[in-house]
Amino acid sequence: MIDYNAMSDADFRRQVRQFFETEYPEELRNLSHRPKFAEIEHWHRKLHAKGWVAPAWPAEFGGMGLNAAKLLFFYEEQQRWGVVRGRDMGVQMVGPLIIKFGTDAQKAYWLPRILSCEDIWCQGYSEPGAGSDLANLRTNAVIEGNEFVINGQKIWTTMAHDSTHIFMLVRTDPKAPKKQQGISFILVPMDQPGVEVRTITTLAGETEFCEVFFDDARTPCENLVGELNKGWTMAKSLLSFERVFIGAPNLAQNALGQLETYARGAGRFDDPVFCDRFAEVALDVEDHAALYARFADQLKRSEPLGADVSMLKIWVTETFQKITELMIEAAGPDGGTLGPLQVGNVGLDVLAVFYKARPTTIYGGSNEIQRNILSKAVLGLPG
Amino acid sequence: MINAAHHDHDDLRLLRESVRTLLERAGGVARARKIRDEDGGWDAPVMTELAKAGVFGAAVPEEAGGLGMGLAAAGIIAEEVGRVIAPEPVVASVGLAIGLLRRLCPEHALLTEALAGTTVLATAWQERDAKGFSDTLSSRFENGALTGTKSWVAGVAAASGILVVAEAGGGPALALVEPGGKGVSIDKRRQSDGSILAELHLSGAPTELLAEGPVVAKALEAAVSDTTVLTAAELVGVSAKALEITLDYIKTREQFDKPIGSFQVIQHRAVDMHVMQEVAEASVRDALGLMDATEAPRLRARQASRAKARACTTARKITREAIQLHGAVGYTDEFDIGLYLNRALVLSAWLGDDVYHRRLWLNARNAEEAAE
Ligand SMILES: Cc1cc2nc3c(=O)[nH]c(=O)nc-3n(C[C@H](O)[C@H](O)[C@H](O)COP(=O)(O)OP(=O)(O)OC[C@H]3O[C@@H](n4cnc5c(N)ncnc54)[C@H](O)[C@@H]3O)c2cc1C
Repeated sequence: MIDYNAMSDADFRRQVRQFFETEYPEELRNLSHRPKFAEIEHWHRKLHAKGWVAPAWPAEFGGMGLNAAKLLFFYEEQQRWGVVRGRDMGVQMVGPLIIKFGTDAQKAYWLPRILSCEDIWCQGYSEPGAGSDLANLRTNAVIEGNEFVINGQKIWTTMAHDSTHIFMLVRTDPKAPKKQQGISFILVPMDQPGVEVRTITTLAGETEFCEVFFDDARTPCENLVGELNKGWTMAKSLLSFERVFIGAPNLAQNALGQLETYARGAGRFDDPVFCDRFAEVALDVEDHAALYARFADQLKRSEPLGADVSMLKIWVTETFQKITELMIEAAGPDGGTLGPLQVGNVGLDVLAVFYKARPTTIYGGSNEIQRNILSKAVLGLPG
Repeated sequence: MINAAHHDHDDLRLLRESVRTLLERAGGVARARKIRDEDGGWDAPVMTELAKAGVFGAAVPEEAGGLGMGLAAAGIIAEEVGRVIAPEPVVASVGLAIGLLRRLCPEHALLTEALAGTTVLATAWQERDAKGFSDTLSSRFENGALTGTKSWVAGVAAASGILVVAEAGGGPALALVEPGGKGVSIDKRRQSDGSILAELHLSGAPTELLAEGPVVAKALEAAVSDTTVLTAAELVGVSAKALEITLDYIKTREQFDKPIGSFQVIQHRAVDMHVMQEVAEASVRDALGLMDATEAPRLRARQASRAKARACTTARKITREAIQLHGAVGYTDEFDIGLYLNRALVLSAWLGDDVYHRRLWLNARNAEEAAE
């Protein structure tokens, strides 16, 4: 087992960079859609063979065991090289939960299967009546013998149609006094008659998320993670790291680079109005990076992050959207055209980038919810 | 990346605390109001106290008689000056007058006096033309005398000398005139915060030549970049305090039987102000650190413009929102919040607003990328 944390930052970075640069398939660089597993399976196998599927997991469970600093370098290199976010809900979300709250048997069974992608996971939290108000969820699970019997519906489940398992929050005690109570976290196989998946077409014309219906679907009671009726606090404990990740500058930086290339090709820099607006978003990106660096330093010093990290997400997603809006303006009469717009020898799919920016202010806790958090937890404004 | 702000963490914190205490003890923001009403000058004793605290020499290298703490330290001082709207021309002195003297004539007694706060110098470097401001010099130095008109001279109100940049046969020169001297007339223009920016008319004013040749242009460029980033830091102080005042207000002011800060629309606006402020602080401190780490003029100018653009946008937005969230009291002269709006107006306009600096920033960035 290699102790990556013992390496110097520079050596570690060099090694990671070299691996991506030599091993990552060019045709998968900077993909604009969420790929199905089959599309990236070859890459996944390479990553798995190298032992690099789960950089944040402890080494004893097959992860790289990286500390926060090394982890940030790893992600930075990944983003710099345009490496796809694979089918990583297992690695990012359910794995850490099992590691933290699971039994030894659960760890031994599920973790290797997550790493190998033998099981491919999706996240079943949201429901038609439970979005921002997630605790309002109604999908219920009743214990019958040694099984949970599940009825209800989940929605907006990213890549459910390409998953073998779903981890979900379900109501197991409808009589609990507060709606945050009586919720449990369970693991459910999707290949069974009681589970039906329907894809939903997005604005961008893709099928990235789905509705999932449960009609007497079943899962063994041993697939309960943590205590019964204690799922809410567990699910919420999912790492401040996720929140830094979601506020990272990469999406906006990439879009800015694309905007610049396109606008140069289209001669838009001759227009002083365009120049001013370009400079504005470019500085929004640059100054966000300065703020991001402050939080990253905090992580690298192993200091916990507070609620104020929400501001990174607000700023970067809204900047990302501004950039993509400027792209459409720069395209002028072509601004409504689907597919790549050819300028000189570059082709840029302006609308694809624009669509990609839309949901960033909705998922991961909408920006309004982030503002609510900041207002209460950071500014201390009254309820 | 070496960031002086992290490097010298403790020293800088101590510096911040001592300047804050000093300025509060001198009268805090009430002093800004008093001096404004009296006629746009400043307190000489406060100027001396600031000097004793090392404020004027913080960014000056040790070999020129300073503390050698870099721009990062001067930035912290500027933030504190901004927070209480101290009327002393700290940034203009540190950035322009001292910035020029320490680069051009570090041996001159004027520098020692300026660092000690016993002499306060204003600096006249810009000129106005039909389009706005001129990037060429029409004022001249000839036969030991100065002729021409300079604009936007800050800190002239009680200055004992004025440094003038003028054309001297093929390049700029730096010369010194006395405010009340022969051939010098000062046209004071009152600013929204009560301070004065002056037009300086020179007609054969006798002068002492301090420096000439290409070194002057180089020193001026560096000093202007410094002053620009320090003004950005001062603006960050202005908006930080305006935001604090506003947050306190919305937590206590009640309407409809609740504090107005419990209304979500107000909360979200307050959060946006807070996020802007955090970004501005990060941006300006990053720029200060990067400028401390390099002598390259274009890189420094680019960082200064980046900081000024961000600080102007932020201060403009926060001080105006602050008035709105105060309701009618925000529109009264009696309430302090308006002082912050007025200060932001002056500091934003001085040395170029955000639109101007975004243009400079983009040009500098493009030039750097073309050079790579
Ligand atoms: C691309 C994408 C992928 C997703 N993937 C998944 C997934 O894999 N698994 C999963 O479980 N979920 C997923 N989601 C769902 C996502 O988490 C929810 O969309 C999100 O929590 C918001 O819920 P909602 O869509 O029901 O909107 P609502 O909660 O109905 O909100 C609608 C609007 O009202 C605002 N609003 C709501 N409450 C408040 C309030 N208290 N104050 C102010 N404004 C408020 C919101 O900000 C929003 O603007 C995904 C969503 C998207 C867009």
